[in-house]
Amino acid sequence: MPRIKIDHSKCTGCRHCEIACSLNHAGVANPRRARIRVFREGNVFFPVIAGPFVDAACTSKVDIRIGDQVYDMCLLCRASCPQKPFFIEAETGFPLKCDFCGIPPNPSCVHWCNSGALELVDD
Amino acid sequence: MYGCTGRCLRVNLSEGKHSIEEIDPELLDKFLGGRGLGVKVYSDEVDPQTDPLGPENKLIFVSGPLVGTGAVTGASCNVVTKSALSGTIVCAKMRGHFGAELKFAGFDMIIIEGKAEFPVILSILDDKINIQPALECWGRTTSETEEVFKKNLTDKWADRETYLVSIGPAGEKLVPLANIVNDRLLSVGGAGIGAVMGSKNLKAIAVKGSHSLSVADGDRFVRVVTTLINKLNSAPLTSQSMSAWGSAFLVGLCNQKGVLPQKNFQAAAFTESKDIGTEALANAFALRSRGCFACPIACIKKTDVNHPLFKGKGMAPTYWAIGALGLNCGIRDMTTIGMANMICAEMGLDPIAAGGTVATAMELMEKGITSSDTLKLEFRFGQGEDLLQALTLIATKKGHAKRIGKGGEALAGEYGAPGSFMGVKGLPMAPFDPRSIQGMGLHFATCNYGPHHLYAYTFIDELLNVHEELDPWSTEGKPELVKRYQDMGAVIDSLGLCNWPLMGLKFNNFVPMVNSCLGTDYRAEDLLKIGERIWNQEKLFNMRAGFDHTHDTLPQRFVKEPIPGGPAEGQISKVDEMLPGYYDLRGWSKKGEPLPETLDALGL
Ligand code: SF4
Ligand code: SF4
Ligand code: SF4
Repeated sequence: MPRIKIDHSKCTGCRHCEIACSLNHAGVANPRRARIRVFREGNVFFPVIAGPFVDAACTSKVDIRIGDQVYDMCLLCRASCPQKPFFIEAETGFPLKCDFCGIPPNPSCVHWCNSGALELVDD
Repeated sequence: MYGCTGRCLRVNLSEGKHSIEEIDPELLDKFLGGRGLGVKVYSDEVDPQTDPLGPENKLIFVSGPLVGTGAVTGASCNVVTKSALSGTIVCAKMRGHFGAELKFAGFDMIIIEGKAEFPVILSILDDKINIQPALECWGRTTSETEEVFKKNLTDKWADRETYLVSIGPAGEKLVPLANIVNDRLLSVGGAGIGAVMGSKNLKAIAVKGSHSLSVADGDRFVRVVTTLINKLNSAPLTSQSMSAWGSAFLVGLCNQKGVLPQKNFQAAAFTESKDIGTEALANAFALRSRGCFACPIACIKKTDVNHPLFKGKGMAPTYWAIGALGLNCGIRDMTTIGMANMICAEMGLDPIAAGGTVATAMELMEKGITSSDTLKLEFRFGQGEDLLQALTLIATKKGHAKRIGKGGEALAGEYGAPGSFMGVKGLPMAPFDPRSIQGMGLHFATCNYGPHHLYAYTFIDELLNVHEELDPWSTEGKPELVKRYQDMGAVIDSLGLCNWPLMGLKFNNFVPMVNSCLGTDYRAEDLLKIGERIWNQEKLFNMRAGFDHTHDTLPQRFVKEPIPGGPAEGQISKVDEMLPGYYDLRGWSKKGEPLPETLDALGL
């Protein structure tokens, strides 16, 4: 099954992927309408691709520790969730979800990611 | 209107009021946007004789039409004002993410007027425009300002999307060497703008928004951008050198060619290049790449500077920092250079201007023109602690450092040795020795903004031979080269792009991207014409501010004293030989004034 592999250690935080996605799906440049967002945590950037829509927040909230950094799970979570403003279409309030840019997958975000942080793999 | 938002925010700090205006589409036709628009609006609204630090001066932040649209390297926001250091018009380039976020917040341009009664922060968050007291932030370094501001945001997610520009203590104290710092320690080129922001009592601007930017022909635009990314990826300089080291890769090369100045431009050679090249950089710092908005090159290098003050949040030095703060002060220890660079970023000092000023003081002291007793500070070439101490004191305007903080020209003038100041129009020179790279020398002499490399990347052809193989020592074809690069730079800034892609792309490659984004049908010549118009507009402002052809010159050292040793031994700057040809090409009189017919042809 094709998947997008994310290597956050290569991500430069340039946000070109966000614009690639919003141009493809919304026809305009606007990170708030993209199905991929890049978040900075300390010195590291995490690209997060929108997953399924949930209509209520989780009841259990966790922080995860990797090395000496503590990360907020909500930030790394892929859900389009009422608890956070990401992956919700700014103008209409519709939830957003990555569709791999069609069948077969032709991911715009991967095409514009020059650092190698995003990669389309098939396994 | 494609690309642009067409809106401008005017903030009057004296009255605490703001208004939203439409941008005249005719101005965009004539000046593209970005730097061109900023310069035009600034020259129309501000008296050239105005005191840069007075409330009548204005400060303009303006993003180009391509910024935020996904155009390759479309990240650049320009800051236009009158420099507190040189008194010329200045258009500093600011990359990072602020410019794009400003567009998403719904504005192409912010015009700041007046002076606030007490320190304030301007925030434009999701269409809520607020002038709020700076309270806890005032007095803090730039990265602390960002942290404190974000901590106080009530929405827990907002800090993820908010971008800031701020001044450090140097700007607050109105030190003329101060500049503005953007997006976590990215210095904005152009000295003297931080003091202008400080004089308005404006500590920072924060933006965030969710407006959409439309492009004219989306399908074609996406195809063109993809091609450009691939092109950049196959060019060795952009895909390897810049990506791996940032501009610091130039150090070794400039060293070999005898372009790298040393000890306040008294020499231009280094034998042990190993301890200053990329290898030394890699040994001193663990580098991580960071990209400005929509940039596939990602030349910005983050690192951990090993010092308790800076808790692992640093920028690795660029070529300009290594040259100006390091070798030009006789210092080659990378850790010291990194520290000095960090002090500049945190305190909000311009590395080139601050480095140049310290180097001038060092020369004055070495030659015995002044002494540590008079200056109450030690300045010795090669002594890292002198540099670090001086920078900290200049930024906080403590004690005797006040005098030095006025800049190298004032300092050298005070001791009757103006020849020890290596700069033009009051601005210290970027670290290229104009004797061994003639085109750059001509640019330094004629640039409207003082001797700054950022406004004409002639070294791309003179040193790196990317598009043309030119001999750096010869003057042949240099006036043409300089004019072309100056006009090209004006276009690129006005569109809101970065100049570095020119190391992998031709100027013509940008044209389809511009047209598909903006829905125009420019040819490369049309764009260059606009660039020329912008250059002349800036020139006109400077003329009215009191600058003439006598300011288009280089320090005497470069025309009188040949380089004493190294690979470029014996070279001398032939700037006076090239000047008439340059004026001619520009359609200017022998006195460097645009002729009426030139202005007519440009529609000025
Ligand atoms: S694959 Fe397509 S839809 Fe999914 S995040 Fe990337 S660009 Fe957006
Ligand atoms: S395009 Fe790639 S490198 Fe840039 S932010 Fe997205 S994932 Fe990171
Ligand atoms: S090349 Fe460097 S400075 Fe220019 S946009 Fe890219 S990362 Fe920023």
